[in-house]
Amino acid sequence: MFEVQEINAEHKDLIHDVAYDFYGQRMATCSSDQYVKVWDQNNDGKWSLSSSWKAHSGSVWKVTWAHPEFGQVLATCSFDRTAAVWEEIVGENPGPGERGTRYWVRRTNLVDSRTSVTDVKFGPKTQGLILATCSADGIIRIYEAPDVMNLSQWTLQHEVQCKPSCSCLSWNPSFSKIHPPMLAVGCDDTSAATGGKVFIYEFSENSRRWTKIETISSITEPVHDLAFSPNLGRSYHVLAIATKDVRILNLTPVNDNNSIQSGITKLDVQTAAQFEDHLSTVWRVCWNITGTILASSGDDGYVRMFKMNYINSWKSVAALKAGLPTPPISQTARYIKLGAISQPREVPWH
Amino acid sequence: MAGKLEIQWSPIKNKFITWGSEVCLYEIEQLKEQSTPLIKLSPLTGAHLLATNNNYHYVKCIDIYPKSDKDLLLAIGQANGKIVLSTFGASVYDSQLLPGKELVPRHQRQCNAISWNTTESNKIVAGFEKNRSDYSVLLWDINKSPSHGENGPIRPIVEYGLSDTTHRKCKVLATGNNNKQIRILDFRDSAKQVNHTITKAVHGISVNPYNERFLASYVDHQVCVWDTRNFEKPLLILPHSKQLSKIAWCTTKQNLLGILQRDLPSLNLYDIQQTMVGNEEVEPSVIERIVTPGLHNITSFSWHPNDENRFLAISLAGHIVDYFVFDRITLNWTTNANLVWTCGRKTLKYITEANPLYDSLQDISQKIKLRACKGYGLKDELCKNGEMVDDIMLRNVWNRLHLSDKLVEDGTLRGSNSKHPGVRSVLKIDGATVKSESVSISWAETSGVNCAGSARMYKHEDREKALYLCGWYFDKDTASLTEFLDELEKEQAFTRAAAIAVFNLKIKTAIEILTRGSENCIPGTNLNVVAMALAGFSDDKNSMWRQFCASPKTKLNDPYLRAMFSFLTAENNNYDNILYENGMTVDDRVAFACIFLPDNKLNDYLKSLTMTLIYEGNLDGILLTGNTQEGVRILQKYLDSTGDIQSTALIAVRSFNTELLQDLGKDWINSYRSLLDSWQLWHERAMFDIMLSSQRPNDKPPQQVYISCNFCGKSISAFMQGLTRGRGTFPRMGGANKLKMSSCPNCRKPLPRCAICLMHMGTTTGDQCTSDGDGTKLVDFSHWFTWCQTCRHGGHASHMVHWFKQHLECPVTACQCRCFSIDAV
Repeated sequence: MFEVQEINAEHKDLIHDVAYDFYGQRMATCSSDQYVKVWDQNNDGKWSLSSSWKAHSGSVWKVTWAHPEFGQVLATCSFDRTAAVWEEIVGENPGPGERGTRYWVRRTNLVDSRTSVTDVKFGPKTQGLILATCSADGIIRIYEAPDVMNLSQWTLQHEVQCKPSCSCLSWNPSFSKIHPPMLAVGCDDTSAATGGKVFIYEFSENSRRWTKIETISSITEPVHDLAFSPNLGRSYHVLAIATKDVRILNLTPVNDNNSIQSGITKLDVQTAAQFEDHLSTVWRVCWNITGTILASSGDDGYVRMFKMNYINSWKSVAALKAGLPTPPISQTARYIKLGAISQPREVPWH
Repeated sequence: MAGKLEIQWSPIKNKFITWGSEVCLYEIEQLKEQSTPLIKLSPLTGAHLLATNNNYHYVKCIDIYPKSDKDLLLAIGQANGKIVLSTFGASVYDSQLLPGKELVPRHQRQCNAISWNTTESNKIVAGFEKNRSDYSVLLWDINKSPSHGENGPIRPIVEYGLSDTTHRKCKVLATGNNNKQIRILDFRDSAKQVNHTITKAVHGISVNPYNERFLASYVDHQVCVWDTRNFEKPLLILPHSKQLSKIAWCTTKQNLLGILQRDLPSLNLYDIQQTMVGNEEVEPSVIERIVTPGLHNITSFSWHPNDENRFLAISLAGHIVDYFVFDRITLNWTTNANLVWTCGRKTLKYITEANPLYDSLQDISQKIKLRACKGYGLKDELCKNGEMVDDIMLRNVWNRLHLSDKLVEDGTLRGSNSKHPGVRSVLKIDGATVKSESVSISWAETSGVNCAGSARMYKHEDREKALYLCGWYFDKDTASLTEFLDELEKEQAFTRAAAIAVFNLKIKTAIEILTRGSENCIPGTNLNVVAMALAGFSDDKNSMWRQFCASPKTKLNDPYLRAMFSFLTAENNNYDNILYENGMTVDDRVAFACIFLPDNKLNDYLKSLTMTLIYEGNLDGILLTGNTQEGVRILQKYLDSTGDIQSTALIAVRSFNTELLQDLGKDWINSYRSLLDSWQLWHERAMFDIMLSSQRPNDKPPQQVYISCNFCGKSISAFMQGLTRGRGTFPRMGGANKLKMSSCPNCRKPLPRCAICLMHMGTTTGDQCTSDGDGTKLVDFSHWFTWCQTCRHGGHASHMVHWFKQHLECPVTACQCRCFSIDAV
């Protein structure tokens, strides 16, 4: 039904994350094989591998691009308890008239975590070059590069103790000055007894601290991914959550006297939609550029899309079969062929 | 079916065996519609039963000869301790006299485990219950042994071991003994014990096929993963809530362990990854997944030997499922609608913007991009922008803004200080109440219908202005009304035309319109009949006409026809049916209200309508609010519900004041600009910026680069700017004879030289502008001065381009800067 293109990624183990740059012309993948690969799109739209390197000494969970304003910069995080910032630089000794070969160097290794670093994300560019990580022991760390020209210097600005086994985080991408910086964090702790699994933090300009402003108590199942939708001038925030189903929450800042006095935003949280289409665990969610279509992936092997038609009206609009391993029938054919050449040494000379 | 059912893939593709009370051989086939009835295993595959073998009744364990390629050779371990080699019917092994061969231990007791050597495939090893006088691990060579029992290197390992299960690979054997320990034996050197550990987890020992160092075993509720290099304690303990019944490493994927618990419909899969932190190995990472193949009480499963992520599972009731485990899919969306997702470890799949899927979705992002490319919102005439969109609401907004702009310009709406006043501000509703005069016009006078009564209308100067805003600018004379109606007829909007005619008390005209409409009309609506009904109009309260029109009018599909009859049958000037008729455009409803509602009612109606429209985010509300704070609220609501940042930003920029928008407007503009940037529509963004600055003449973009003298440090740029304004030290050099300055106007030191031609910046070169003869341009771009951002050396652009065609380093002698590579970043 749909024409689906393929890229042969050839990672040696499961790919955990795919990230695009701001323009969608470069792509980075990371995998349990501890490698990160960078792919570039040529003018015909074909993707080719431009770099591949062993980035960590454990599974690489996430990879993310910084805004191009800061150069070609990637951040990765891994089970090896570190997060790293990488920059692409132009190498020495290129041939005449050619550009030097580009390669990625590790600018810094953030080693503060004592456990697996499960997610890493650059903050909105209006905040400067900042980086948030979260780790399995439930600590959120906010780093900042005070000098954007020197990516090897990062200072740990904030350390926030959240609940254990944080699995994912997302910055609120709003450009607006009306909204203070906001983060959502999800936990994949399996026990329902520990209560809500999604937490919203906000940076308060007055106290210069990150404060938890909301716990989404309606979600007690493990959360595997969450994503704020691109805000684009909307008066409320939309958060998509991958748990046992797909949830879409509307977070509307309430401007009452209380919140103005305390300087802490109060949020009105509404579940805009809940989709059980996957019939199983949902792994990832992501938004299109306007935040009007959500894509999700689940254990059922489908990529599904949900579209907004009106503020709270979401509809399931598409399901793409993510792709089976090669169907069994073709293997039968291959088997017969193999059987025919029983003794390869008998192939006659020419 | 009695006993525990087991299942195992055979080395022959698409064949598998199950055993319980009998051994069955199946072959998997693709499901086809007309094919012979298969046992359905999955949506795609089914199986034939090829053969059954029920010669053996007390089967405890089976292993298949690993080199079986045409026929299967099974080694069957039985409860009485006999191990029998068997096949399904005649086979290639018959000539070797293998089938039927029995391997018997000295003392009869249950055989617990059996395993072929996968490399030296003639060797077979078995584990037995403990017996005081016999060994519990026995190894045979099937080729050497004569027909009776044990031969070859059978080496006793433990005199009284209860060896529970064995798995053998590459000459090294791991055995679980006596419920106490796991031993690793090396048979190459007369069964030397090379390693052992003391543990209770001795069941189901499984060697990781990708890394022989790793073993997994279980007991009761616990799975232990072992690293044989550090065998004292398990690398990992995975506790479970139920009794375990089987564990198996995946044969096709690294480090994937499948675990089956008793009486559960699901399997647990563990992806176990080793990690080094510095030089020390830390506890491995484990990703747990639970898959439910759709069976109750799974008793066994078997990983496919070659197909990734595929396994067979069998339930207590004998149902079999052929299951694919989907790898965790990760996905991401680019700004340009490229959606990518992963398939396992090797493949990424993606769909692009051109995919037909997106056409069917009709998403706003695509519309925005398309409209941006067409230059939507940038046209000088506001209504032209409306022509570019297919959305009726948006088109109306642009038309309306155009209209109000025009009306303000030609002075019709004098007295309002806004560029786009709304109906409410024109009516001065929020201020003092205005007393409109009420006029009664008899039906007979205007429509020529035989009616006695009259209709009550309200008139005021402000109301007239409001009508203009609604597009009903035909109040003054009949000619303009006729023109307007003709226009509507051309657009095939017969019912609207008729209704408006009736609202203007021109029933005759309405009838004519409807008659004309019925001639070239849309099927399904019989306008002729409506015209006939209309012709019988009588405003007598008790007339038959009125009584019979009252009920069927609700059944009319067309909103305008409904409104028309509602109007004609309205009692006590109650027009609610028309005012709240959502099928009518807001313009028409508001215009209607402006004609027929008394001041206080009009006031209330417009207020409530405004609230509704704001709530709905309906841009038609801008008619009422104009470019006021409430208008901003409508825009925000519209944006909230549609995500159409483009129209919102454009309408805001084109018709709202900066003061009114404040941060909100800036936010919208920045969002839209960043959207265009991420699509690399820089030209479109630039056009938007140009339009923006033409709307906001006071916000001039700041100068980005300044030139100052190397010696005295004084700004040259400032001096040059002064020149162009006709001031400064050398006013005579400005004007037509444009200045070429090659030295600092302050200290007279020369400006920098071009590194190639060694001319000073600002020197007039001979070859300028020869080709186009366009005297207005002093130098063309290739003679502009340019420099490297890093080493600050530079020269004329064309010279630099030429130089860097062959060089990477800076043209200035002794400068090592790799300008060419660097400033590309």
